[in-house]
Amino acid sequence: MANGSAPGLDGLRHIVVLMMENRSFDHMLGSLSADDPRIDGITSALSNPDTTGAKVNAQPLAEFQGQLDPDPDHHFPAVDLQIFGGDTSDNRTANMSGFVKSYFNQRRDVQHSQKIMYYFPKEKLPVLTTLATEFAVFNRWFASIPGPTICNRAFAHYGTSFGRVDMNLVYINEPFKSIYSRLINASPKHTSKLYYYDVASSTMEIVNLLQNQPELFGTFDQFLGDCSKGQLPDYSFIEPNYSDHDTDSGEELANDQHPDHNVQAGEMYIAQVYMAIKRNPALWASTALLVVYDEHGGIYDHVVPPACQADQFTATANDTGTGREFKFDRLGVRVPAVLISPWIQKGTVVDRTFDHASIPATVTKFFMGDYAPRSPREKNADVFLEPNTQLVDSNRNLLSLTSMRNDCPEFDV
Amino acid sequence: MTTIHVPRPPKSSMNPNRPASSLLLTQVEQMHAAEKRLPLRYRTDIYINAIRTEREAARYIREVTEAIHQAHADAARSRLQRTPKRTRTLQIAAAADEKPAPVRTIKRASKKENSKTRPKK
Repeated sequence: MANGSAPGLDGLRHIVVLMMENRSFDHMLGSLSADDPRIDGITSALSNPDTTGAKVNAQPLAEFQGQLDPDPDHHFPAVDLQIFGGDTSDNRTANMSGFVKSYFNQRRDVQHSQKIMYYFPKEKLPVLTTLATEFAVFNRWFASIPGPTICNRAFAHYGTSFGRVDMNLVYINEPFKSIYSRLINASPKHTSKLYYYDVASSTMEIVNLLQNQPELFGTFDQFLGDCSKGQLPDYSFIEPNYSDHDTDSGEELANDQHPDHNVQAGEMYIAQVYMAIKRNPALWASTALLVVYDEHGGIYDHVVPPACQADQFTATANDTGTGREFKFDRLGVRVPAVLISPWIQKGTVVDRTFDHASIPATVTKFFMGDYAPRSPREKNADVFLEPNTQLVDSNRNLLSLTSMRNDCPEFDV
Repeated sequence: MTTIHVPRPPKSSMNPNRPASSLLLTQVEQMHAAEKRLPLRYRTDIYINAIRTEREAARYIREVTEAIHQAHADAARSRLQRTPKRTRTLQIAAAADEKPAPVRTIKRASKKENSKTRPKK
């Protein structure tokens, strides 16, 4: 460990996390490997068998909307099929070969099921691919659970899903507190806010927090105001708009990128969050923004999720729907994740393994140092920002530049 | 510094009548669980089993989210109003001779009255 000069970390005051919905790494960022082989992306040589046994190759034919309808299944049993290809034996090996078979189960249409292998060429996603190549892209950021949204998002807030692998309400099981409660009750106190898009979109997975601590929440408009006024909290978590809906002043288009919502609307949203921070020079210099997706949404990715430290909870065979219990000892499918700061070297590719438990782990360690109690999963999760109060390992510090970049891109939003 | 053009989604993308996804319906159910813990006067009259579209789901989610904020704001206001403005010394002295206060019944406001206190939509 070296005490490297880390002015980016010394000046870091704000961590912002934007969590989008249901897209895999290969689907969104996989095409980048053609230009940069350090990025573990997708090639047309990768394939899955369909239900007739024919080989279905990955193709750069993903569309913004209308292609993944119905929504690909991403509940625990379906993801088990996607990862293990339908092998249910005791000594099975993960091979990422069941995606087409799984999607076939949705519509019983062989042709349609092949679309689960489609990915975006980089030109179609100028925001996410630009951020990935300009800042730090994670080759190994996985969903926390091979399952759906709610339990995966819980890991981002609590470092555990309290034993849930499904979409049921997460009941907070003391003593594990949310990252927000930890921060606002710390001594010295820290500030923290969850920004949902608007009251009609509200919060997706943390109704428990909303009903007990509504003061923690704000809207996206308030986020924009807090950025321009320089009043952003120490830690902010941003949710997208989950629905097409009416407002008092017109209509709002869903921008969460959940199939079958328009992916371009999500691109706009990511750019708006980025530009809101960048337009305030003091904030831009002192903020790290993580853009990450909650889970893969049933869409193909080629990287086998690794085993991990078991949590202290166990989901029963009945809960998982697979006939096997789950000890939370395997990560979910890989998702896009990009860390943004003007202190990050352009073109950084991170090979260390992360999951959503890394979010509370990082925020806690950065602002509070040691903290107990935390879930076994969170305690073992790697951190993506090092605290600035101790010796910093220069090999792990992503905000490694000694002077701030002035060549960072802008978006016309 | 490069400025990158971000293409706008077409207007035709907007479809609030799209069937609500299982994710959105889950959110509705979780909001409903929260709504059931609200005092009656804050609850909606929306039957969640009849919610079919994104527009309907969003309307319900909005009503419950606003109601939760309103209920907490009202509780905070009433907490402030109940706080006696007496010094510590006086409180102790007064407590020595104090008889138990009669139980006060709080009149529940009618649904019509409450609708006025809720924010305009």
